[in-house]
Amino acid sequence: MTSASMTSSDESALPTSSDARPEKRVLHLRVNGSDHVVAARPYALLLDVLREDLALVGTKRGCDMGTCGCCNVLIDGKSVMSCLVLAHEASGKNIETIEGLAFEGAELHPLSAAWAECGGSQCGFCTPGFIVTCHELLAEEQAPSRQRIAEAISGNVCRCTGYKKILDAVEVAAARMRAAPRHETDARSAAL
Amino acid sequence: MSSDRHEKLHPHDDAVQRHGLIGKRIPLIDAMRKSTGQALYTDDLAPNACLVGKILRSPHPHAKILAIDTSAALAMPGVHAVLTGREAPNSFGVLPVSQDETALAVDKAIFIGDGVAAVAADDEETALAALRAIRVDYEPLRAFLDLQDSLEEVPEELRLHKKTVGGTNIHKEVRQNFGDVDGEFERALWKKRMSFRFPGIQHAFTEPLVVIAHYDADERMTVWSAQQVPHYLHRALAKVLEMPMHRIRVIRPTVGGGFGGKSDPFPHEMVAALLSRKCRRPVRILFDREEVFYNNHGRHPSKIEVGLAIGHDKKVAALDIDALIDGGAWGSFGVVTTYYNGVLANGPYRVNNFRYRGRRVYSNRPASGAMRGHGAVNTRFAYEVLLDEAAHDLGFDPAQFRIDNALPAYTKTINEFRITTNGIVECIERACAMAKWKDKHGKLPFGRGIGIAGGFYISGSALPIHWDGIPQSTVHLKADFDGGITIHSLAAEIGQGSDTMLAQITADVLGVPIGQCRVYSDSTDTAPIDLGSYSSRVTFMAGNAVRRAAEEMRSLVIGGAADLTGYPPELFVLEDAHAINATNREVRVPFVEALRRAMKDRGALQTSGCYSSPPPMGGSHKGAAAGLSPTYSFQAFVVEVEVDLMTGKPKVQEVWAAHDCGRALNPLAVEAQIEGCVHMGLGQALCESFDYNKGNVENPNFLDYRMLSSTETPDIHAILVETYDPEGPFGAKECGEGPLLPALPAVANALFDAIGIRFYEMPITADKIWRALQKQKKSAAKAAAQGASR
Amino acid sequence: MILPPFELHQPSTLDEAMATAQKLRDEGMTFDYMAGGTDVLPNYKNRLNARRQVIGLGGVAELTSIDDTSIGALARIDDVARDERVLALWPTLAKAAGLIASPPLRRLGTVGGNLLLDTRCYYFNQSEFWRASKGYCLKADGDVCLVVPQKETCYATYSGDLAPILLVHDAELEFRSPDSGRRVKLRDFFAYDGTRRFEKAADEVLVRIHVEPTALATDYLKLRARDTIEYPVMGVAMGVATKDGLVTDLRVAVTGSEAVPLYYGDLGLMGAAVDASTADRVHEALLDRIQCYRNVPFPPGYRKAMGAEFGRSLFLQLTGQQA
Repeated sequence: MTSASMTSSDESALPTSSDARPEKRVLHLRVNGSDHVVAARPYALLLDVLREDLALVGTKRGCDMGTCGCCNVLIDGKSVMSCLVLAHEASGKNIETIEGLAFEGAELHPLSAAWAECGGSQCGFCTPGFIVTCHELLAEEQAPSRQRIAEAISGNVCRCTGYKKILDAVEVAAARMRAAPRHETDARSAAL
Repeated sequence: MSSDRHEKLHPHDDAVQRHGLIGKRIPLIDAMRKSTGQALYTDDLAPNACLVGKILRSPHPHAKILAIDTSAALAMPGVHAVLTGREAPNSFGVLPVSQDETALAVDKAIFIGDGVAAVAADDEETALAALRAIRVDYEPLRAFLDLQDSLEEVPEELRLHKKTVGGTNIHKEVRQNFGDVDGEFERALWKKRMSFRFPGIQHAFTEPLVVIAHYDADERMTVWSAQQVPHYLHRALAKVLEMPMHRIRVIRPTVGGGFGGKSDPFPHEMVAALLSRKCRRPVRILFDREEVFYNNHGRHPSKIEVGLAIGHDKKVAALDIDALIDGGAWGSFGVVTTYYNGVLANGPYRVNNFRYRGRRVYSNRPASGAMRGHGAVNTRFAYEVLLDEAAHDLGFDPAQFRIDNALPAYTKTINEFRITTNGIVECIERACAMAKWKDKHGKLPFGRGIGIAGGFYISGSALPIHWDGIPQSTVHLKADFDGGITIHSLAAEIGQGSDTMLAQITADVLGVPIGQCRVYSDSTDTAPIDLGSYSSRVTFMAGNAVRRAAEEMRSLVIGGAADLTGYPPELFVLEDAHAINATNREVRVPFVEALRRAMKDRGALQTSGCYSSPPPMGGSHKGAAAGLSPTYSFQAFVVEVEVDLMTGKPKVQEVWAAHDCGRALNPLAVEAQIEGCVHMGLGQALCESFDYNKGNVENPNFLDYRMLSSTETPDIHAILVETYDPEGPFGAKECGEGPLLPALPAVANALFDAIGIRFYEMPITADKIWRALQKQKKSAAKAAAQGASR
Repeated sequence: MILPPFELHQPSTLDEAMATAQKLRDEGMTFDYMAGGTDVLPNYKNRLNARRQVIGLGGVAELTSIDDTSIGALARIDDVARDERVLALWPTLAKAAGLIASPPLRRLGTVGGNLLLDTRCYYFNQSEFWRASKGYCLKADGDVCLVVPQKETCYATYSGDLAPILLVHDAELEFRSPDSGRRVKLRDFFAYDGTRRFEKAADEVLVRIHVEPTALATDYLKLRARDTIEYPVMGVAMGVATKDGLVTDLRVAVTGSEAVPLYYGDLGLMGAAVDASTADRVHEALLDRIQCYRNVPFPPGYRKAMGAEFGRSLFLQLTGQQA
């Protein structure tokens, strides 16, 4: 190893036993409207904290590299890959996961309902990430075209469906949301 | 003869008459769980106290293991167990004839990524640090990284496994010969031989492989794993752990995609179990995406030579196939694959003279195995492309040419497959009609084209892997006081909808809403044996089993209604959650009351149904069992494609995918399977390739292993062709694999229609098309120049 | 997949960030700045030149603003792609931003991060295990390039999408360091090979990109294996102005070819006639200049040919000779 060179990792950045790691720090996270306090190492990923510390396992681990979208969550309304966000960088932001987005009170959200009815899921592993992304889309656009939907979900990988029934589901959900306008954002921000 | 049975089933079968659930578009019964994030996958179940298991992998493609020193790792705080291959030398494998895998490498490592040692530690970082502390002394050996090299006779030390063919690294060689192939080639009106190349491709399910194992206080082993065949894992664990099967429980949580890639028992499953037994704590092994690619058994890289002869009667006269496929490190399903590459070319067209040589070699690369369309996909491509060339050269319409050569229903192929229902002609006709084939073929502007291809596939392998006489599918039903019907099966729900199929058939037969049925298909402790979700067998086999169990349950419930009302049981039908006297519909007993009455003297009603394939129906030649199926699916696709003439980039515009599924029990689910197949097939045709850089996999990640994205996936029109199979449950046959087959050749044939160029190598990427267009331009210019000079 | 351990510093202002950088530097520690994280974190996961100290810039809001002459380095790529001002002033910059990676990655990634994107290569963008099994390369942990075997130059491919159009616009980069600040022309910034990449001290942070309004007709074409997620394996940006049927300004820049984005200027075609033969000369000149290596998707010859084709096509389109 050429430790003197700038073209290698710092020696201590290799896997080490626990005593050589930076200490855990207190982390405040607001997820689905609830405040959580956990202890997390500075380099902990949001995905890991959501799944392992908060047991919000609806957010899936697919590729770890930002290439599949299975771990997408909303941060301040934007759909991003939680495998590429440090947990401490998400502190103070409004995080929403599939668990918070699937229902509004006791009501199933139209996206989750349409997804099930239209056959948007087969194995379902990618589904939470897709639905999170489509929440962002439908918050921005009431009547996206199929082409527009396809673009919006182009960072999410589905290996089962060939995407057709996913497009169907988003169209159906969008139509229902137009027919019965909701005050999702208002309601949510009021709750916060 | 048998066609009478065909007539009988349609449209007079009871489900059609009763307007029951069969044929209805039903959302999958687990869809709500999945669309709310509540479906629990293996990694979601990790108990809090789970240790993290990690596997140390060989950096050499082929190397003797001289010594392993694990002492430093074991001494690290937070490390609870360390395992090496010598501690668990019992071999396993999915096929009884290829038990060539071990939990970890014992004497030598045979690919980059092969497991050499493993640790269980408190957390991932500690586990990784422990792996770094393990010292392995290797003696590198010559690596076999090219198909040709594996054909050489080599000293024993250089053979990857004990059992190989004649001192080489050939794993399996098969030959079949029917009729007079050479004679037909001599007499042919048209003939061509061509070599086709296929890189490996991968299942690329989105859920990475993960396993949790717990050897508990009762000295029972529980293994949670995303499996397509819990039963085979159950067997392999018993063998490796040397434990009786009844002390091992395999649980299949929700599975995040399989496509054949989760149908072998895998080393990491053994490793987790062994580690847990060593430290008596639950151990979880979660793979990085890269490890998934190493562990996975993808579609075989293949070199396939196909000769096709067309006779003067404009029919296929002879088919001559020589397939050389790269099996990588292990046997896996490879013996079957070796046969399938040939025998599954015996449809959907009549072939009277057929010759096949198939060879599968071992190489120092990750193993190849079963993937959607197992063994049939690559040869199908070659065959359908040559058919298209023949049609073009002879001036025939490629669609009509296929119809003229189609096998009829109720016939036998030359290799003695028993064909029953057959919708190939209807598939071709309907796909062509919807695609406006006649208006488009040969008539679209340069750069745009349309192509067609057919296919056929097994609907369950008729012969089970283990010849132990156990039925291929068994389903238990239990109905109790609450009126709910519990369905126990080990058919693995992997997203294809098998749980829904079981519930739908049960609910249909018992005349109750589907929500009254609940499916428990996740545990070997409670479910009867089912051979699992591969070879497109579940709807046909488990569907028949559940139908039988439900019909028995129906008689019992009707017995209760008869007791209550005094009418004879034969008058009753079950509908609308009631037992109804069909001759006097006023006489109605609620289902639950009839059920409770029937339980009076016997407690909860429990019935069992099973399915085994019909008695031997194939020939007696060597390999006759390979490819035998109780019935076959048929399919034909038309694909329209456009090529960007500047960059060569191909874009599939639309796909019309007609598939004979026998009967669409649930059209929503059948369409879904077809659409998924098309997407996966187009990926292999256009962009997917598992690339090697010598012994290394070059693209073990989702950035460089390319699947078609949402914006590149065309509009897919699934066309359901129903032929009502006499032996399928309510007429159904498979729909999960066959519809992949025509996708690849239909794309290549459409590209020929678009730009007049044939492609014989997958995937057909923009750079290859561009290069071919350049060459075409140059030779056109040359020809023009020569013409001018004359 | 866990990250290698590092300490995370989270300044909320640029001054705080500089104070942290100074402190770390004074203590003799190496560190990385991290903006959106979409480049740094995957590389860290692969143990590629990971540092024990990271200064996260996510909280430095002052660097996200966009005005008529500049863009904050921390502006998110997606915001730039949709920003009305950017669309009006530098439409091709917005277009190029909209072609980067995939929607969720554009929401995380920043303009500065894309400009300073690490170079890419099959031998580099791999896990620690993979690289160990292959033998480490010059760009990380080794001393020989595995693409072009020698010990001097790293041939990894520059894969940012924004650099070409910013080169066309003659953008300037504004840096801050604990000690001072400086502005440098983008055209003078990139240098060297795939490891050294550009002239920037470790403690310097890119704060703003200054871009003058332009009257040029501009566009950008990108080659990639799929329509989404992928990095460019060839990208050409062009700016053209013509008068009386003659070229009065021509600027061409390329990404996805060599270890740095390259500005080719006017290709010697200033004053040439606006016609198909000049387009062919653009094609010829680019074929002459573009050099690619076998280390990212698609064969080098094809990528080079596409660069030339893009140049011709852009010229025809921007001079109104082709729709």
